[in-house]
Amino acid sequence: MAPTILPGDWLIVNPLATGWPAPGAVVVFREPLGETLAIKRVAAGAGEQVPFAGGYLTLAPGEAWLGSDADEKAAASVGSGPPIDSQRYGPVDVDGLVARVLFRYAPLRRIGRIGRRPRD
Amino acid sequence: MFLTNAVLGFLSPRVTVRAHCDLPCGVYDPEQARIEAESCYKIIEKYAANDDPAYRTRALAIKEERAELVKHHLDVLWHDYFKPEHLEKVPNLHDLFWQATKAASKVKGSTDLADGKKLLDLIDEVDAAWKATGGLEKTRVAGRPS
Repeated sequence: MAPTILPGDWLIVNPLATGWPAPGAVVVFREPLGETLAIKRVAAGAGEQVPFAGGYLTLAPGEAWLGSDADEKAAASVGSGPPIDSQRYGPVDVDGLVARVLFRYAPLRRIGRIGRRPRD
Repeated sequence: MFLTNAVLGFLSPRVTVRAHCDLPCGVYDPEQARIEAESCYKIIEKYAANDDPAYRTRALAIKEERAELVKHHLDVLWHDYFKPEHLEKVPNLHDLFWQATKAASKVKGSTDLADGKKLLDLIDEVDAAWKATGGLEKTRVAGRPS
């Protein structure tokens, strides 16, 4: 999730979120494969179409498409491989939603709101 | 000091979340393909020098396997090691990999030593491209004899 979130950041989240926030928000969720507790940005929500595997996929009610801020190059710059996100495991059901990320309270020089990012 | 630690302990997060990326080992080396291709070359030699049908059958089966590994190792270099910016240094990169993997396919089915040699030469060209883009310094673990 570089550059938005870096390893070691301390975050305040809202664990009471019951539905996917609008696209652009950052969320914590359980990955459909392997149950890893992961953090990504909502790229699209129910009813929207997303490009996938050369075609398009329409998201069902309760589903979100989650993406990484880091592209392959940005991930490589912090020593990681290609990001693992919905391109890999597909849409994520709202059952997997754990919390919405609101604020970073450490490190001190990076304190600030984790805002919604407008889509390009 | 005790107070700072207590406050930090209270404030620090209890749960860790992951941005989750693949973790590549970062070792990419044309030598892996070269050794499998050398196996193919030697097998073709041994095949020609032996009339025993059982031996010849085994030789062909093993050559198929090794040639498939050559293709795999070349593919990994092509997809994972080489990056778009390397094309400036090696403008014929895609064609080179196409030729090399095609040569490996040829060797799978061939018992002609010339095909085996051609594959080795193309892998050496890949090796030159890998060195020209700093592969030797970037991906080989320091201390390994070259």
